[in-house]
Amino acid sequence: MSGLVLTTRDPSGPPIDMTGVLPERLIEGGRAALAGLMLVRGRGRHRLDALFTLEDGGPPGSLILRPGSAVLDGVGTGMSTGGIRVEGECGAYAGSGMRGGTLTVAGNCGAFAAAEMSGGRLRVAGDAGEFLGAPLAGGTRGMSGGSVVVMGNAGDRVGERMRRGLIAVHGRAGSLCGARMIAGTIVVGAGCGPDPGQAMRRGSILLPQAPDAVPSGFVDGGTNDWLFLDLMRKELIDGGAWPNGFPTAGTRARRLIGDRSAGGIGEVLILGEA
Amino acid sequence: MRLNGVHIEDTFAEAFPMLGTRLVITADTPDWVQAAVVSLTGFATSVIACGCEAAMERVLPPDESPDSRPGAAVLLFAMSKAELAKQVARRVGQCVMTCPGTACYAGLREGAVIPLGNALRYFGDGWQIAKRVGSRRYWRIPVMDGEFLCEAATAAVDGVGGGNFIILAADRRAALAAAQAAVQAIRKVPGAILPFPGGVVRSGSKIGGKYKGMIASTNTAFCPTLRAAVPVSLVPEGVESILELVIDGVSEAAVAAAMRAGITAVADLGAAGGVVSVTAGNYGGKLGRYQFRLHEVMA
Repeated sequence: MSGLVLTTRDPSGPPIDMTGVLPERLIEGGRAALAGLMLVRGRGRHRLDALFTLEDGGPPGSLILRPGSAVLDGVGTGMSTGGIRVEGECGAYAGSGMRGGTLTVAGNCGAFAAAEMSGGRLRVAGDAGEFLGAPLAGGTRGMSGGSVVVMGNAGDRVGERMRRGLIAVHGRAGSLCGARMIAGTIVVGAGCGPDPGQAMRRGSILLPQAPDAVPSGFVDGGTNDWLFLDLMRKELIDGGAWPNGFPTAGTRARRLIGDRSAGGIGEVLILGEA
Repeated sequence: MRLNGVHIEDTFAEAFPMLGTRLVITADTPDWVQAAVVSLTGFATSVIACGCEAAMERVLPPDESPDSRPGAAVLLFAMSKAELAKQVARRVGQCVMTCPGTACYAGLREGAVIPLGNALRYFGDGWQIAKRVGSRRYWRIPVMDGEFLCEAATAAVDGVGGGNFIILAADRRAALAAAQAAVQAIRKVPGAILPFPGGVVRSGSKIGGKYKGMIASTNTAFCPTLRAAVPVSLVPEGVESILELVIDGVSEAAVAAAMRAGITAVADLGAAGGVVSVTAGNYGGKLGRYQFRLHEVMA
């Protein structure tokens, strides 16, 4: 059984909640199970095949969304297996609650991408919005596993309350990157806005240079060799998450420890200050 | 069987099951790798009194080591998982973590889990940091020269201990030269180690002894100086010196390959090198379930 290509009939209308449009549904129930799925668009509920044309294509167990559009919210929400490829941009909540599989977005994605994600891989070729890997509204737990790679920039509060996993942002991240982080790793290639790691307990935020402002609870741990950086760089490069230009070639970095005001022993590693 | 004038006796080496693990040690320079490995494997010749048997398996060049630094693979064997875990924690904690610049990684992935960094992390006194890189988890333990990076756990696999062969030679010099040739050859075999000093045992043992409480005593049958005195001597005329090589391996095949490599190296020296014969230590099949028949190993 091949994959399925879903072509949006009206990519410029009200937002479509893509919750439930998952490869596992295709694998378990076939094309018919997806075609009859009821989706919310604007104020109404519609069959999926009324909003999309369906045709066979792509690898088995995969979905292709074409063309991508900012109206497509919740793409890959709760996904546990297989793959979804968005040919263009998508809206908010891409890969939120994701547990497995691979979601690739050829363009930008909106806010709350990978929110509360616990496994799998999200790859965004463009920019990501705010709250990447953060808790959903009202939630208390951010990303707890899996990996996210954003080739462009990301908004504020990347990895807020993150517990495990990896977020790699090749471009710039906004303010409060890694705020209230509990564990995990965030790598940012082009720096971030003010106050990274505010109230973080554990975890690592890797930056190419010091941000304009660091929360007052951080203390300067000085510069040293951090051997795990070598492992991290290899993993990112070999895994295709960071094909070239990793922020540092060596293992030396300046370490800011914090947020001590929250009793934290997390770290902001300044890779360029070796 | 005769190889190059050396008699290969039709007997078998008797070996027993052990649990083993592989650790990978890295450091800034080969010298510091060596320092850590020597310390880690010190006093680890025989489970009779040492708790474990351990030795370096091979040197790892930087391009083969996990962190692109000089390294070495070490194998440790013990009689139970609990004892292996205890020995790993003690030895890595006392001999690797203490050694400047080192890091310690698991060298095996599949098998029963043995704590590595998980057993040592508390040394960090609350400042230790867990870090997952890919599918592997590490502990970063702050130490005075920076940070000790240690993989969280390693794995134990069923291994084989006590593979052996015995070199009978015309004199001590010839026995030592043959043993050293065998050691060199065996150290090229993956998955096998020689836990005794320099890879060689001169005090081969038999089970029990005349004194109460001795679980092992000198193998009188192979002591040339007692040939005329003991009831049973296995020392032929013309043999003045005997040395034994004891081999542990991660599998039966690894031990057999090591024995074959070692005996071949001994036989290459030949009768002209003072080697008279090669035999093996066994206890009539009562010690362990593995039997390595020399003729089959060399076939």
